[in-house]
Amino acid sequence: MTVSDQELYAWLDGELPPARAGDTERAVAADPALATRAEQARRARSLLAEGFPVVADPRDQALARLILDGPARRPMFSLPEGLRWPQLALAGAAAAACFGVGLSIGLLKPETPPLIGQGGALADAALVRVLDSRRAVDGADARGRAVGLTFQDAEGRWCRTFAAGEAGLAGLACREGEGWKAEVVAPFETAGTELRTASADIPAAVLAAVDASAASDPLDAQAEAELLARWKGE
Amino acid sequence: MRKRAFRTGPWDETIRARRSIPHGRFPPLDAFQSELVALLPRLRRLARALARNEADAQDLVQEAVERALAKRRGFQAGTRLDSWVFTIMRRLWIDQGRSRTRWNKVVTPEDAFTSQQPDASQAGEALRADALAVQRALKELPDDQRLAVALVLIDGLSYAEAAEVAGVPAGTLTSRLVRGRQALVARLGEAGVAA
Repeated sequence: MTVSDQELYAWLDGELPPARAGDTERAVAADPALATRAEQARRARSLLAEGFPVVADPRDQALARLILDGPARRPMFSLPEGLRWPQLALAGAAAAACFGVGLSIGLLKPETPPLIGQGGALADAALVRVLDSRRAVDGADARGRAVGLTFQDAEGRWCRTFAAGEAGLAGLACREGEGWKAEVVAPFETAGTELRTASADIPAAVLAAVDASAASDPLDAQAEAELLARWKGE
Repeated sequence: MRKRAFRTGPWDETIRARRSIPHGRFPPLDAFQSELVALLPRLRRLARALARNEADAQDLVQEAVERALAKRRGFQAGTRLDSWVFTIMRRLWIDQGRSRTRWNKVVTPEDAFTSQQPDASQAGEALRADALAVQRALKELPDDQRLAVALVLIDGLSYAEAAEVAGVPAGTLTSRLVRGRQALVARLGEAGVAA
């Protein structure tokens, strides 16, 4: 079977209908020369992902301010005293970076789902799992996701600070229904390029949000474990 | 239901004690604004892939955001904001190209490569030589192929989405993508990079 580059690339990009994808897959498996072409194309794609990473850029904060300070279309609320838009501004950038950095390589297309649902719901499933089940003492997982403080806000929602180390972001999310709503997300304040792995440096914006919304003292390790066990049982 | 259960727990008294302290909840994020902010990293990445240098990339991001804000009324809620803003950026980028001398006719690839270096260090990316080679190879592609490659292979849009952003039929997008990728593979091979 002769496979054109167009067919081969479409297969690699997940753009072929299942039947043709199966044909192409078998052809690649049976033909070393074709397998080499596939590998080269895949490699080009993975290098592109590496050469053009999603990186947190300090200038994005200024742009976020521009976006959020713009003429409000429907002013529906006022900000709590002491809070400013920029603290909220990076909620989206956070989620974006989570997805972007996790850009996968190979046969699977990188996912570009909506990053924040209506009302700021966290859309990163892995981060949601971490918030649902990870203890602070567990530290960071392999991709630098960790949780810090766990407390209740005035409405009885459980809130947790978290770090998404690979994305270089930290934030505060509160549990609503089955999901988590991002209240504030901000980049780690330390400059640098290595992956952040711990919840050590919680950005000031996140700490300010904790101070503003915490209605209970943070849970200790035992109370945290009990709470997580209860969620698991729900 | 759950909230009530929580309040009967051992934290109940603490909550009551704190209840009198005034503090506000965070307001809900405006969907358009928060989605646009969420797009910034992807916008910047696309701009870096399209523009000839970091300064132009920053201009592209800035102008695309300003244009998106100005044209907000033109955005249909429920449709893809990323495609909409990417399309804005694509138009700006084409205008940018028309209004200035083509960079690759006046600058050698070596210059372009060199001009990339500060960006890489500024972004703090410990980019391997291979990744730098692919950056360079991408910049050498004709504009229409570069756009197709950037949208599909870097951003990860589907062919159909990329065609919409590029403003061309799907078949045109596909053939540009194929030619661009063939050229990339060939150049990486020449550079001793490809597998």
